[in-house]
Amino acid sequence: MKAISILKEIILFVILVLLQVLLFNRIAVFGLAVPILYIYFLIKLPYGRNRFYVIISGFLLGLVIDIFLNTPGMNAAATTIVATLRTIILNLFYPKNEYEELVPNIHVSTSAFIKYTITMVLLHQTLLFFIEAFTLFNITSTLIRISSSLLLTIILILALDSLSIRKKKVSG
Amino acid sequence: MRNLLTFIIRNSSWLVAIILIVISFYLVFSYNSYQRSVYLTSANNVTGWLYETSNKVTNFIHLRKNNKFLLERNAQLEAELFALKNYLSDRQIDTLRTNAFLSDSIPVSQFSFIPAEVTNVSFSGPNNYITVNKGSEHGVRPDMGVVSQNGVVGVVLTVSPKFSVIIPIINPKFRLSGKLKNSSNTGSISWDGKNLNIAQIGELPKHEVFQPGDTVMTSFSRIFPRNIVIGYVIEQIPSKDDNFNTLNLRIATDFYSVRDILVIDDKFYDEQNQLENSIP
Repeated sequence: MKAISILKEIILFVILVLLQVLLFNRIAVFGLAVPILYIYFLIKLPYGRNRFYVIISGFLLGLVIDIFLNTPGMNAAATTIVATLRTIILNLFYPKNEYEELVPNIHVSTSAFIKYTITMVLLHQTLLFFIEAFTLFNITSTLIRISSSLLLTIILILALDSLSIRKKKVSG
Repeated sequence: MRNLLTFIIRNSSWLVAIILIVISFYLVFSYNSYQRSVYLTSANNVTGWLYETSNKVTNFIHLRKNNKFLLERNAQLEAELFALKNYLSDRQIDTLRTNAFLSDSIPVSQFSFIPAEVTNVSFSGPNNYITVNKGSEHGVRPDMGVVSQNGVVGVVLTVSPKFSVIIPIINPKFRLSGKLKNSSNTGSISWDGKNLNIAQIGELPKHEVFQPGDTVMTSFSRIFPRNIVIGYVIEQIPSKDDNFNTLNLRIATDFYSVRDILVIDDKFYDEQNQLENSIP
């Protein structure tokens, strides 16, 4: 059971990295909004997953993205911090002591999932913005860029999640 | 001691997190020395291969457009060749005089060009880079200039055996000296991070006369030959310093569609470098 879910997570990891690097990073809606979708991996980890596993996989995810995008450390730092705080954020919105393999999804307790997603994405993008701002300039345009990307990312994640659930229901 | 141990064990996940975060920030802040290393950039073999494969597909889609562009360019060159031939045959009447001035040794040309294909362009944020499919195996070295058919693209930053990463004009870290076509005063080209088609030229003297549409070219530079087109003046914008003008210019290279580029190999670069460094 657990081996299968870990395999699934590895596949999700690879697919999200490919999507981010080959597709989403080349999309810039109105030249502003860039969907940063790879954080979906952290959102979809099972509820009771080992903390080490979450933190290290988050770091690796960020690092791989960094290597592709030539932004050493930025995505890795932001993603590691989000991975560290994930348990706390989960406990904010989900009741404790449910069974451990629960994967947060939009079908079960929709409002909790939406709040959880928004918090994770908001945290991640704000961190990315502040880490970039160390080396950056031009606050207003960056703020517009961040907020529009935020909106686009959240919409895409919610859409993606409702799609994947429907597939599962059909296949049983 | 035991208390310390239990503390460490109880909070070990936080410790791991802190260590990893420190590593990431180390990477962020040691960026300058770091960017020269090939392994963690898109010039390494795995990422380069992936980008190249995806690029083959997009290249196929762009074939028709590029073909048309090449035909147009070809026609233009034919016309130029024809004009030159005419000119030459006119001059042959004066053969005697012209020959008198020709030197008898074959002149060594200072610049040669390495053609390369773009495999990846990132322009989603302010930190833009271009990856191309030629590397140190083909003679590309860091600090070489890069041009497209239309004008200046950027400067080579890192190379691996088969790929190299270029820092384009549209990166805030890029600097280049440039001048207006009909003058000799130089200014500094930079990019403010707002629009991918518009760069700025600053530090131009106040008395400089310009018209919208004027050509901006490279002036003396360690990297580019003189008089390569950078862009065209659009308008004057307020500058930080009252003594100088700042102008917006439309970049000649279209970064959305750039596919084929030329890396400039300056044969005398090392010699000049050595000479300049020999001054104590």
